[in-house]
Parts: sequence; structure tokens; C-alpha cells
Amino acid sequence: MSIAVEADRTSRPERSVAAELAEPLTGVAAARKNLEGHRDIFATCVVVVVLLVAMEITSRFVPDYIMPSPVTVWNAARELFFSDPYHVVVTLVRLAISVMIAMVAGVLIGLAMGMFPSVRPYLKAIVVIDTGIPALSWMLIAVFWFKNPESRIFFILLVILLPFYALNVYEGVRALPKELVDMIESFRPSRWQVLRYLILPHIVAYIFLTTKSVIGYAIRMVIFAELVASAVGIGARMNLAQSTFRIDQVLAWTFFLVILNLLLQAFVNGLEKISLKWRAEATVR
Amino acid sequence: MTEENLIEVRDVTKTFGTYLAVDNLSMSVRRGEIVVLLGQTGAGKSTVLNLIMGTTCPNSGQIRVAGFDPYASFKALKGRLSVSFQTDRLLPWRTAVENVELGLLILGKPRSQARTRAREWLARVRLDGADDKYVHELSGGMRQRVSLARALAIDPEIVFLDESFSQLDHVTSKTLRRDFLQIAREFQKTCLLITHRIDDALEMADRALVLSPPAKVALEVRISDEARSDPRKIAELHAQIAAAMGGESQAEH
Repeated sequence: MSIAVEADRTSRPERSVAAELAEPLTGVAAARKNLEGHRDIFATCVVVVVLLVAMEITSRFVPDYIMPSPVTVWNAARELFFSDPYHVVVTLVRLAISVMIAMVAGVLIGLAMGMFPSVRPYLKAIVVIDTGIPALSWMLIAVFWFKNPESRIFFILLVILLPFYALNVYEGVRALPKELVDMIESFRPSRWQVLRYLILPHIVAYIFLTTKSVIGYAIRMVIFAELVASAVGIGARMNLAQSTFRIDQVLAWTFFLVILNLLLQAFVNGLEKISLKWRAEATVR
Repeated sequence: MTEENLIEVRDVTKTFGTYLAVDNLSMSVRRGEIVVLLGQTGAGKSTVLNLIMGTTCPNSGQIRVAGFDPYASFKALKGRLSVSFQTDRLLPWRTAVENVELGLLILGKPRSQARTRAREWLARVRLDGADDKYVHELSGGMRQRVSLARALAIDPEIVFLDESFSQLDHVTSKTLRRDFLQIAREFQKTCLLITHRIDDALEMADRALVLSPPAKVALEVRISDEARSDPRKIAELHAQIAAAMGGESQAEH
């Protein structure tokens, strides 16, 4: 920047200069992001169309119980949508409650790991051992331990999802810039104030990242859990469809699950955008 | 500690393993005085600041800040001192005004009162209108102004400035130094500034202490307003300080 421009800056409030510079840049970044968003939607549509065409072609060469046509699956989906919405709601509620419980418990454990060095190795050991236990083992164990199907499902999702939250939040606490810690410490805050003003806002991004990463996995796990441990819910209905040789219904439920995953991802993305509006949008050329 | 001295350091030594960082340092800062600690990189300036702030414990010697041992009575100094760092260290998830009110909230001020005071301080550092901007929307100079406002908003007795102006360009740095000096004089703040720039000291300090490794006072000079207005005297002081720092005199133009 030239000396003349610098001298001019001192005679005017810096705000106006910064605002003038920032506005067109923000516009370019927004336009680029918008374009990328449209490109993503277009690509998804192309993939869906290709899959449907492949399905239609395959269905003409194999029996219906191997690969039904997209129209048959669509009819099954319509039928299920009007006859079985209760099961979708049950699965959604189970998923929401389980993810919330896992999130709260995982965040608390992650924070404890990050803030209390004396308990850190013990909690870390528990979490690491938990990650090593296969999901199927937890499902079978849950069947033995709990009589109530709801308890089984919540337990299974809690033990499976908790380590993701705990480890990511712990990493978030570890990644706190030392400069910010020193800054807040210079005001001599209480431990609670450090947590409230520094640590919690800092780990919000990590919680969203974890939630986005585990949603697809959580849906799969809740379906498995319902398949093994419950008589209601999408998993239970898929089990029924499989035992009555209704592959069109299995595929229709799968279609619902994919839609559910997309909707939940969009919902979490929206929440993230609102919660992390302070973040600068960076785009790589 | 005398009544006059708000900061007093007596025969303080600090080592990190076998490395001697501070060697038997003694210094003091009187109430309302602006003292600059000068020294080249590695002279131990930041270690001295950490010792005075109470974030590091000395191996031997005594430190008193407003009558308290800053390390042993860490919490006793809550609200009585504040720091503006080399980098702005603003919390990116808070707006400018929310960053300024941080110290006030930590001191337990009601939110509405803290917000009003924060806005007043933003206006005082000439940032009115930028209250609701996030950190990434501010320029480097604006961020440093917010950082200064945050340090001053809690109305501390002592303000520490750790190379606060050194990362800014020449013009912004000079404007900010002038603004800070005006505020410090108006509110009679006791200030300890850490810098490696001789011009900062000559412009702002009542007294400059030149540190040479391992953090020993190599030179102490008083800088009066009279001397400041005399270019010949300033050039002499500049040369004297530069020699004590072990470098050549290169005044800012």
C-alpha cells in the first residue's frame, strides 16, 4: 500500500476503508459458494438419474425379487409413506434422542479429558476400549442386559456414538490456541468462566463436525438396533419386508433412509451456519 | 515496597532448566508512571513481564504488584491489571463490542452495564460503528484498537503492553501509540510497555529500562517532555539506548 493511501487512512475512520475493501470480496466469495452449491445439486441429480436408469435396465433382465423396477419401488414407497409413517417417526425420535444423549455425554467426557489431567488417562482408556468393541457385540450385549427395546436402542447408540464426541471434543480442547488461553487468564477468571467464554464456544465447531460425521453412521446403527432389538421402527419394518420377500419395500425403506440422511445433514448444516456465522468463509482457487 | 511504587521487583532470578533467563533483576514502576522495557530479542523482556503478571514463579527474589505477590496471590489482582498483547488475541466468535466487554463480564459486571462501557471504550479508541463486526471483518489496526479497548475497559490500575504496536505498519502504529498515550495520561494509568523499538520508548516513556541478556538492566534513562521536543536530545538518547541494546541507532523518520 502506498504512503499516500496510508496517510489518508489516518485522517478517516478505518472502518470505512475496511468496509469498502471487504464488501466486494464478500460478494465474490458468496457468488462462488452459490455456484458450488448449484454444481453439487446438479451432480447429485445426475448420479440419481444414472442409478435409476441402471435399476430399470437391470429389472428387465432379472426377476422382481432380485431387482424391481423404479416404478415398483416408487409404488411401494408411496404405500409405506401413507401406511407406516408411525415407524418413520419412531425411528426419527429414537435417532434424535440417542444422538442428543451421546452428544451431551461425549462432550462432558471430552471436556473432562481436556480440563482435568488427573482423570484424563482413565477416561481416555475407557473411550479407546469402547472404540475397539464392535457394534454387533454391543447389540447382542444390549439384548441380554435390557428388557425394554427402547433402553436397548438408546444404550447401543450411546456406546457407539459417545467415543466420537468425546475424542473430537478432547481434540478441540487441546487445539485451543495458547495465546487465547493466556489472554483470558490475564483477567484472572474462574474455571467456569474459562469454560463459558473460551472453551465452550471453541468446541462448538468440533461438535458440529462430529455430528455431521456420525449422522449417516447413527442412522445405520439405529436401523440395525431396531432390526435386532425392536418390533417398531424402520429397522423392524425392513426385517418384516425381508422375511416376506418384499424387496420393493426394502428398497423403498432404503430410499426413505437416504432422504432422511440428506434432510438431517441439511438440518445440521443449517444449524452450523447459524451457530458459526462468525467464521470467515475461505475459498481455495 | 514503598507506597509510591506500584510494581517492585527485587533481586529476582529466573531459570528454565540450566538457562538463566533473568539474573538478579531489580526495578520499580511508580504509580502513574509509564515505563518501557527495551531489549533485543532474547533479552528476557517477556519473561520479566510474565513474572510481574504472576504467570511464572521466580526462583529467587521478591515481586510486589499493588502490594501483592502476583504469583502467590494470583486472584487478588483480578481487575487491577490488564494486558494488551503483541497480537490482538480477540475471540473470533465474539463481535468487537463483545470482545471489549469480556473482561468486564469476568469481573462480574451486569451484562447491560458491561455492554454500555464496552461501547464507550470502542468510541474512545475511534471504533464507533464497528461494534457488531466480527474479528475477520476488522483490519489489523482495528483489531489492535479493540484489544486496547478490552484491556482498558476494566479500568485497571496497571496496564501492560507487550509489543502491542510492533506488528502494525508505521502509520497505524504511530496513531495508535498517540491515542494510547492520551488515554493513559488522561486516566493516570501506570503502564509497563515491552518493546524492541527505541522510537516507541522515546515517544511514550517517562523512563526507559534497557535490558541485556539475561534480563539485567543495562541502562536506565529518564525521558522528559522537554527532551522529547528537542530533536538533538532525542537523537542523543536514541544513540545511547541503541548502544546499550548492542545495535546501531536508526531513528524512525
